[in-house]
Amino acid sequence: MSKVTFYLLEQETEATSNQPAHLALACQLAAQCFSNKQRCVVMCQSQAQAEQFDELLWQLPNDRFVPHNLTGEGPQAGTPVEICWQRPSQFNKPVLINLADNMPDFHSKFSRIFDFVPAADTLKQQARERYKHYRAAGHQLDTLPSKALLDSLAGNSQSQ
Amino acid sequence: MSKSSKLFAADGILSQAISGFTVRQAQTDMANAVEEAIEHKSALIVEAGTGTGKTFAYLAPALQAKKKTIVSTGTKNLQEQLFHRDLPLIKKAIGVNGKIALLKGRSNYLCLHRLRQHGGSSTLLDRTTMVELSDVRRWATSTKSGDMGEMKSLAEDAKVLPFVTSTMDNCLGKDCPDYEDCYMIKARRKALDADLVVVNHHLFFADMALKDTGFGELIPEADVVIFDEAHQIPDIASEYFGESLSSRQLHDLSRDLELVYRTSLKDAKQLHTAGEKCKMISADLRLLFPEQAQKGNWREMLTRDEVQTQISKLNDALNILYEVIKLHLSRDKDLDSIFERVSDARAKLARLTDAGQKGVSLWYETTLRHIVLHLTPLSIAAKFSKMVSSPERTWIFTSATLMVGDGFEHFQRQMGLQQAKTLALDSPFDYQKQAMLCVPRFLPEPNAREMRQTLLDISLKLIAASGGRCFLLFTSHATLRAIAAMLEDKVENPILVQGTTTKRALLESYVNSDNAVLLGTGAFWEGVDVRGNDLTCVLIDKLPFASPDDPLLQARIEDCRKAGGNPFGQLQIPQAAIALKQGAGRLIRDETDRGVLVICDNRLVTKDYAKTFLRSLPNMRRTRHLPNALAFLEEIHHDAQLSKKSQQAAKIAAKEVTNKAAQALAQQDVNQDSLIASDQGTPEQHSNGQNALDTRDMLKKEIQ
Repeated sequence: MSKVTFYLLEQETEATSNQPAHLALACQLAAQCFSNKQRCVVMCQSQAQAEQFDELLWQLPNDRFVPHNLTGEGPQAGTPVEICWQRPSQFNKPVLINLADNMPDFHSKFSRIFDFVPAADTLKQQARERYKHYRAAGHQLDTLPSKALLDSLAGNSQSQ
Repeated sequence: MSKSSKLFAADGILSQAISGFTVRQAQTDMANAVEEAIEHKSALIVEAGTGTGKTFAYLAPALQAKKKTIVSTGTKNLQEQLFHRDLPLIKKAIGVNGKIALLKGRSNYLCLHRLRQHGGSSTLLDRTTMVELSDVRRWATSTKSGDMGEMKSLAEDAKVLPFVTSTMDNCLGKDCPDYEDCYMIKARRKALDADLVVVNHHLFFADMALKDTGFGELIPEADVVIFDEAHQIPDIASEYFGESLSSRQLHDLSRDLELVYRTSLKDAKQLHTAGEKCKMISADLRLLFPEQAQKGNWREMLTRDEVQTQISKLNDALNILYEVIKLHLSRDKDLDSIFERVSDARAKLARLTDAGQKGVSLWYETTLRHIVLHLTPLSIAAKFSKMVSSPERTWIFTSATLMVGDGFEHFQRQMGLQQAKTLALDSPFDYQKQAMLCVPRFLPEPNAREMRQTLLDISLKLIAASGGRCFLLFTSHATLRAIAAMLEDKVENPILVQGTTTKRALLESYVNSDNAVLLGTGAFWEGVDVRGNDLTCVLIDKLPFASPDDPLLQARIEDCRKAGGNPFGQLQIPQAAIALKQGAGRLIRDETDRGVLVICDNRLVTKDYAKTFLRSLPNMRRTRHLPNALAFLEEIHHDAQLSKKSQQAAKIAAKEVTNKAAQALAQQDVNQDSLIASDQGTPEQHSNGQNALDTRDMLKKEIQ
């Protein structure tokens, strides 16, 4: 049984970067995982989305730099954040950040899963389906407004 | 308000006197800090990003303070730029009359004694050298400065140079019959007499380490010492605080002995024989090493029997030579100077073969024919900080690349300058708009074999998108050669490759061509200033870590580890970060420059330490999507073509205006009014003004 947290998004796009809000939030999550020394896999719907996410992560400011790789590049020992769009070759990371439309079938390999409920209707519908599947798989579920994560990040940076 | 603030203000003297001068806060800040350091006789370290205008920011306060000043910079070219371009401009602007002088290293000045010595001994020279020699002789009759750089027809590495210039070894100093006419002495006297003298780092440290006779007079006099390109100092200083002895020196010694024997001491054949013996033994020492040039740990080599035997043979031969020359002392001035060289070489050999000493690295390097033994201190911090603290004077260290990440610790630690004040000034350029950094996706690992093919593919795309206006910079000669060979078959652009001719000639052909690509290694990472659309793309093949085979680096790593440090973080990353920053700095040279930096090393994305590199680089827009970079390059290239066309069109338009004006003049029979009218419409004003804009719009429409 894994712990799954869904973040609810209020807007479709993130105000400053003009990127899909759930991608931007996933980016913040990946950065947070890295600073907590938790390695993670980011599962994307397609190679295009994986590259879009890679671009976002690469553009984070220097003090939030996150070493990462796309599946198919990088050192043999891997990096703290692997971005994939197919089944990962190995499962040695505890956290999964899911950006794919469906629940990844390897969900049980992770102890901690983050997922999103985007504001756009079709995406929201797909998120509901995923929610059901995770529940059916017996995971422990939890929903939070995206603000909760952003606030905690802001709090972290203040305390630093 | 400080003097400098007034000087650099919007309504200040510089603004009025220098056309195109714009007020830059960073520049004023730096000038103020320099002024303060001069007042308090303190040490100051300033990193000033490209475009800050750091040259004026240190020259102006130094000139105003009216103190004896040494400005030291990285290369002869930069020295000349400072002396012939920047100094006259600022001196005139602020109206000071101080004497200024330019002083280069010994090897830049014609040595009259050596020129005469080679007058008749044509047997020692080959034919091309003889031709060069007669050119030099002709030039020698007319030169005032004796600066070999004046002879533009002579290649920088012309074979004749060692025959007509002196070295510390063969200079006779005060005993020289030509001492009074010596160009180097004259230049040095001028420097001593000047209020501000421009030198280079090598010269400065040779002087400081008292490695040159009759020298060491310059520095004690100075109140203010300013180092530009100060990031080079740790390496250069280490070199001069160390020692070296090469088989080439022994060969030269033997050649000079032969010259003495054949010209003046014809009865002393033993001189020739004993010299020859040293030469042979040092050549044999070289033969103990593999043919291919290499560097290595000399301490380790000293444990080998055959090396030890050869060294003791060399030692014996030098001793014999010493005794032989001793017999002929005072017979010939050149021989007396050779005697000193021999005893110096003996002493050096003893130190260079003393494997027991601590705090130094003993290493060797071989070239095709020669071997050089080196002793380099692992740290110069203690020595240097002692020098800076007494006597009290002002020390300014500035460069665009001193910081690693956000701090000066690396430079301060290397130099023992922990007490110095530091100042970090950002470049005024808008890097987010002007520049893009791209680390392409799915690169092979840095040392993978497929990397060359990937580099070739990416290079081809960049060349196409930029119209050839790129520098491809490599960390290894092997990769450079491989890519150069492959590119030549694949593109029509001229390919300029480092090593085929001098750096200066390569740069000239690059700028004179409008679509040539330049491929280089180390030499092009630094000190190259190509502005505007002639350079829109820099590709770097790999993070420039120093080769782990470098024996000096190995010794420093070992030393750092023993002290409980982290050599990778404390030595290797900072060194590579500064080198990368230098390489990247070639791209954006002024406010209107735009360009793309492509680094084909995915460690910049995948490794945690990449953040030190990223924090050291200017804050450029980032992408991993190569097509984004290509699109930006195409846009720049396209705009460049447009402005070139509009310039041409403006020229034509201007010609028409002149023609029309001329016609009008002819028709109107030269009346006063029409003269004024045509004056207002002089071609230059028109071409750069409205006309140019109109034609540009027109052409833009045409292309779209």
